[in-house]
Amino acid sequence: MTQLILGQLINGVIVGTLYGIVAAGITLTFGITGIVNFALGAFMTLGAYMSWYLTDRVGLAFPAAIVLSVLATMAAGVVADEALFRHTRNNLINGLLVSIGLISVMQAGIAMTWTATPQEMHFVLPGVVQVGGVVVPKMKGLAALILLAVILCTYAALTRTWVGRAAFAYAQNPEAARLMGVRTRLLQSGAFVYSVGLAGLGGALYASLYSIDTGFGYTYVLKGIEAAILAGIGSVGGALVGGILLGMAEAIGSIFLPAAYKDAYGLVALVLILVLKPAGIFGGHK
Amino acid sequence: MRVLQLLAAALLLALPHMVRSDFVLTIFVFTFILGIAAVSFNLIFGFTGQLSMFHAAAFGISAYVTQIAMTHLAVPFWAGLGCAVLFVLVISTAIGSICFRYRLKEFYFAVVTLAFAEMARLVVLNWNSVTNGSLGIALIDKPKLWLPGFGEITLASTSTWYYVGLTALAFTLVVCHRVLNSWVGRCFGAIRLNDELASTLGINVFRYKLLAFAIGNAFAAVAGALYAWYIGYLEPDYLSIPQSLAFISMVLLGGSGSLVGPAVGALVLTSLPHLIQLSAEARLMTYGAILIFTILVLPKGIWGTAASLWKRLQGSGRVLASESQANSVEAQ
Repeated sequence: MTQLILGQLINGVIVGTLYGIVAAGITLTFGITGIVNFALGAFMTLGAYMSWYLTDRVGLAFPAAIVLSVLATMAAGVVADEALFRHTRNNLINGLLVSIGLISVMQAGIAMTWTATPQEMHFVLPGVVQVGGVVVPKMKGLAALILLAVILCTYAALTRTWVGRAAFAYAQNPEAARLMGVRTRLLQSGAFVYSVGLAGLGGALYASLYSIDTGFGYTYVLKGIEAAILAGIGSVGGALVGGILLGMAEAIGSIFLPAAYKDAYGLVALVLILVLKPAGIFGGHK
Repeated sequence: MRVLQLLAAALLLALPHMVRSDFVLTIFVFTFILGIAAVSFNLIFGFTGQLSMFHAAAFGISAYVTQIAMTHLAVPFWAGLGCAVLFVLVISTAIGSICFRYRLKEFYFAVVTLAFAEMARLVVLNWNSVTNGSLGIALIDKPKLWLPGFGEITLASTSTWYYVGLTALAFTLVVCHRVLNSWVGRCFGAIRLNDELASTLGINVFRYKLLAFAIGNAFAAVAGALYAWYIGYLEPDYLSIPQSLAFISMVLLGGSGSLVGPAVGALVLTSLPHLIQLSAEARLMTYGAILIFTILVLPKGIWGTAASLWKRLQGSGRVLASESQANSVEAQ
């Protein structure tokens, strides 16, 4: 039993880092551009298909494929930002609806390019490692470590660099930040595209772990939103913790409760948090 | 304007006698039934300013409850529909109370209603003994309707459904019109514009938001049951997020500022896939592109834009009947 719980815990943490990277994207976009980008799931899918295509079909080395996928996703993000989201800054409802429309467009585009058949990448990094008697596939562990590192670096960059301080200043008072010399338009586009890149990275790594289909990003964006709200929207570190908590709750819950209702835990937690403590678990008083 | 309205009504009533093609009539039946859901969604979204993601859930739950009531209580379709509307009223009151009591607004309201909708979908999907899970349920028995002068009619032919759908949509429009042109409608408008200001004016924001949410969902319930029995098939996808998005698209495309706009949006979005032959992917892409285009380029929707063009045309000529001007101002 302990083995089972430990195994599920590790699985939960790994899936949780995927939730966390999307949650970080959600939080960043929300904090700086004032919208919730539902299409992050679609960008994640794009990253996943790119990395599968580049590794399996083109034959590039996996690390190169990941870098290229992230860059390609970010390029798509720049286009989306310039064409669409520049017009929906700080307009929550419009941004939400435009991003929802974009999901349909991207999902259809991906299906047209690579067909709607689910795809599976060959094993990039075969083999397993033993963690406390629990068998973990190497690739899963590596993916989780990469995601963890990227989120922590983002967190460090936000707290330690000038750009990070500018972002915080902007989130608190856009007018004052502009007067202090923050180039706000660039900051907004940057935050949007960076978030898209995070989602793309999540997708690129996801493709090496699970089979991919055109709609999988949708689940992840919902989980990302749940995780971001759980920890209190606006905090990148919180997004990571929220994601891991959600992943662990789902994994442990599946042992004791019917696995079919796994997706409901996050939803119930979301409602409870918004009703009881809207600032999130780690948030102060609102 | 009056004349135009009467003409449109007469045309709609006479259509099944003029057009014999089942194909065209079918599009209209779908337009009417989905139009009910779109118009009622707009009561919550366009007029009260609350982006609910629960509409498809109310739509689907109602269809399932009707089916359950009919099989387990052996009641006719219309009694089942009554049970379903009651049930939806109860749950939307509960969900609305939670959301509005804790002042969840905008995104938070959307997310919490989305969460409840997803929970409902998960229950329907996994409660196999009652809902038959993802396989769905075939609805073989057609509802019967007794009308004075006609006797008992079975709702089987497209033209019968046409009149049932038209009547239901007309009923929805009349009720919504009545509500919006009363004190209650003014309160909805005040809440949409600024709910804090509304509450300082003595409007009970909680009560009126709840009222809009409950009425809207009740009509979605009517639409859901009609839709399921017209198609003759029931599946968990009725409650899915894309179904909610379809209603939102209809409202935005038609125009969220007017009562009739969403029905126009429903007509365009139901007829479009039939008019142009598209693959499933191309259809999905068109759908998304229409949604984006409407929000960014045509924020008033088809009906709203047409109304303001009409007003400008009148303004450039001589000043015409002030009544129609007042009408189009109200349509904003």
